[in-house]
Amino acid sequence: MAIRWSRWSPQFALAPAVAITVVAFIGAIVWTIWLSFTASKRFPDYTLQADIWKQYTRLFKDAGWQIALKNLLILGVGSFLAIVFGFILAALIDREKRGEGIFRTIFLYPLAVSLIVTGIAWRWMFNPSFGVQHFLHSIGLTGLNFDWLSKGETAMYGIILATVWQGSGFYMALMLSGLKSINSEIWSAAKLDGVSFWRLYAEIIIPMMKFTFLTCAILLSLGVVKAYDIVVAMTNGGPGQATWVPAYFTINAYWVKSNLGYASAAAVIMLLITSAIFLPLVLLTAWRERSREARA
Amino acid sequence: MPRVQFEDIIKTYGRVTVLKNLDLAIDDGEFLVLLGPSGCGKTTLLNLLAGLLDVTAGRISIGGKDVTDLDPKDRGLAMVFQSYALYPTKTVRGNLKFGLAAHKLDAAETERRIGWAAKLLQIEALLDRKPAQLSGGQRQRVAIGRALVKKVGVFLFDEPLSNLDAKLRTEMRLEIKKLHDDLKSTIVYVTHDQIEAMTMATKIAVMDAGVIQQFGTPDEIYSRPANLFVAGFIGSPAMNLRPATIAIAGGKVAARSAGVDLDLTNYPYVTRPVDGQDVVIGLRPEHFGEPGASVPDPAGMFSLPVQYTEKTGGDATAYLKFGDSLIATRVDPEQIGRFKQGDTIQIAFPQGKAHVFDAQTGRWL
Amino acid sequence: MSSIAEASLNDLDGIRAPRFPRKPKGITGRSIAIIVFLSICAAFFCVPLYVIITTSFKTMDQIRQGDIFSLPAPFTIDAWWSAWDNACSGITCTGLKVGFFNSLAILFPSLVLSITLSAVTGYALALWNVRWAGGFLFVLFICAFVPFQIIMIPLIILSSGLKVYGTVWGIALVHAVLAMPILTLIFRNYYKGIPQEIMSAAMMDSGSFWRIFREIILPMSGNILIVVLILQITSIWNDFLLGLTFGGLGTQPMSVVLANVVITTTGVAAYNENMAAALETAIPPLVIYFVLGRFFVQGITAGAIKG
Repeated sequence: MAIRWSRWSPQFALAPAVAITVVAFIGAIVWTIWLSFTASKRFPDYTLQADIWKQYTRLFKDAGWQIALKNLLILGVGSFLAIVFGFILAALIDREKRGEGIFRTIFLYPLAVSLIVTGIAWRWMFNPSFGVQHFLHSIGLTGLNFDWLSKGETAMYGIILATVWQGSGFYMALMLSGLKSINSEIWSAAKLDGVSFWRLYAEIIIPMMKFTFLTCAILLSLGVVKAYDIVVAMTNGGPGQATWVPAYFTINAYWVKSNLGYASAAAVIMLLITSAIFLPLVLLTAWRERSREARA
Repeated sequence: MPRVQFEDIIKTYGRVTVLKNLDLAIDDGEFLVLLGPSGCGKTTLLNLLAGLLDVTAGRISIGGKDVTDLDPKDRGLAMVFQSYALYPTKTVRGNLKFGLAAHKLDAAETERRIGWAAKLLQIEALLDRKPAQLSGGQRQRVAIGRALVKKVGVFLFDEPLSNLDAKLRTEMRLEIKKLHDDLKSTIVYVTHDQIEAMTMATKIAVMDAGVIQQFGTPDEIYSRPANLFVAGFIGSPAMNLRPATIAIAGGKVAARSAGVDLDLTNYPYVTRPVDGQDVVIGLRPEHFGEPGASVPDPAGMFSLPVQYTEKTGGDATAYLKFGDSLIATRVDPEQIGRFKQGDTIQIAFPQGKAHVFDAQTGRWL
Repeated sequence: MSSIAEASLNDLDGIRAPRFPRKPKGITGRSIAIIVFLSICAAFFCVPLYVIITTSFKTMDQIRQGDIFSLPAPFTIDAWWSAWDNACSGITCTGLKVGFFNSLAILFPSLVLSITLSAVTGYALALWNVRWAGGFLFVLFICAFVPFQIIMIPLIILSSGLKVYGTVWGIALVHAVLAMPILTLIFRNYYKGIPQEIMSAAMMDSGSFWRIFREIILPMSGNILIVVLILQITSIWNDFLLGLTFGGLGTQPMSVVLANVVITTTGVAAYNENMAAALETAIPPLVIYFVLGRFFVQGITAGAIKG
């Protein structure tokens, strides 16, 4: 029987991608999970420990890891401001078409800048001797504090501020495309019915954009788990361990503590957190697919 | 020679069966039209022949060669698509050339064929344009040209005229018919438009629900519809189908419906009906006599009130109340202005034009 | 009928004086409030940029006076030059230029690799009949979101085994591998939008996987190629973690050198030099953003939500 190239050639073409997925993703994840059950230090050691959960029990007793988890939560909650802010900006830009191009360009440019540069810029503004604080004090506002990064209690808020500055434009862009996909007849109908501005948004527009909001929330959460660069650039984890986050903890455990098994255990927990966020995204995609089919 | 044959074709998608044990064979040089409502499986059948879909079970052969497991390019076919499917980034010449991609011809022969097809379809002046710069009719010609250059024995058309306006459609219809007459190639043509089918086909396969309801020449399909589906599908306005009861008395056979008797004594029965049998009679609107005019020896006379009338330029139809339903009858458009709603008119139905179907099986008797 | 009416209205030369003239619409109070609010927000977004630009052109003497919002006086580009040429990270004082050329050396092979691989994969998954395509797509979808840390250690071990660890090639390769899932999904979604009949026609005309890709599909991919190109350039250029993990001494990309110069340097901080270094690193993606903004926005939103 003749060879059906239409069957085989695409499968040959897919082979590299499949190989990469199997080795660099699936294989590597399994590999890391295995390492987390070992006592590997500087170099991998593949013999399982007697108590395979040892690295994990140690991890959850580690004060640094507890701080990292707490900070993850703070950063997550605080970063939600970026979604709120992004939505307000999008709604206002969409409402008042004048200057749309300019405003959009300004709100989005931080996204083109790396987080290292963002962090360095904000770190400079937070500088207690020459930064914004000094300026405020010099114009008589001595009661205001803006040296957040030098104190453990406020350092995370500094990071949140920089994160919101960097990310709001992105959520604005997603919200804008969501707003633009709303049928223009709805705006006309609301106008004819004399629905007030607030009620229109609260009762019609925001419920219609629930998919967009959910997507934004999930993307934001996934981004928060990965947060690393901004922490390095702004505080490098300090002061003390005050701004450690899981991503920072994991890299630190590998490079500074040279503890491969311990770093792997922390990475596995990061994967679990990601999966917990990711599951709703999978369900959301499936739900969307179904509601799209139902409409069709 | 390219005799296209389908043997016991089954096609299922998951639990949905699209084609059920389908058999069909056509000879070289035929113009076969697959005709049916949307979702009847006609496009699926064409795609199976093209090799764009795989059969679940069955065998397809072209010219005696089993092609069931061949790639589309190896089947010796050319296809024209509904949306034309021209390659948007290539010029017309590039499109025609890519039509020969699998043919490994030398440059001179390629050029010769492109020239030939372009001349035949009068698109020589368009060869260096991109599809976006062409009108609908021109795109259609290019799509046909891309099929012609292959010089294969069998051409497939998938509703090629449905994106054209009415005037262009009539023109292209004639042109495709002429191409078939000139090239003597086999054509398999899918459409839901019965006018296209009746005007172009040498053979029509009427399909419904994954089954071929009738296979025959256009005349056979029109004058001897095999069952109720074909009877209702072919003809515009559609054939009037009314339930009736057979009454046999003294060597005379008649169908009685809503108090009217229709004489069917000389009907060419396949199976003879029995007295009291439930049947469906089919009366084409165009076979009724003119209202009021006398028809020599009519099979039946109807005296019915007018419900409403419809005029479409050169044609006119009157809808008459018959029992609890309507009967359509074609009327001289000059005369139709005379009929008002509620007027009762006399119309006659001539001998030998009625169709009778078994009410249970739907088959032509 | 209506077209005639419109035509006569548009024919301004022949129009007589309107019987019901209308005042041009003025700007409403609400519009002004919105624009003022948006302008304040815009100012907030511009402040950090303003501050680093002005600081980078100041002298250290002026910076020590402590007015962060003042304009540079005197104006000097010394900091820009020293940041580029001889800023110190650790004990090496060769400036950012090494990092700049490393970043370029990482960028090109990684772009070619990642875009070729994911375009072909996306094409095969979208337009060819592969039974396991659905399952594979789902796996790719998950891979696109896993945190880097979970695969970091095995990738370090693997790249050491391939003898590319610590080289620009190693960084480029890892970039290509990590970008593959998301780029494949972007290409796949784009190619799904190509009409099925075009692909059917190509199957009947040629049937060759590579020839159809080269002659039909690739020429139709212009837009998505630009979008993906911009997405990749900015994300590779702005990357820090991969460069840090896989870069060796002297092969680190610009962002890592920048971080070393600014963050890990001990001694007296030269803030003007730091800001100049940050700007020098940020300029390439910013130029792309301001020139090709439209594609940039498409890229980041496509990268975020596919499907």
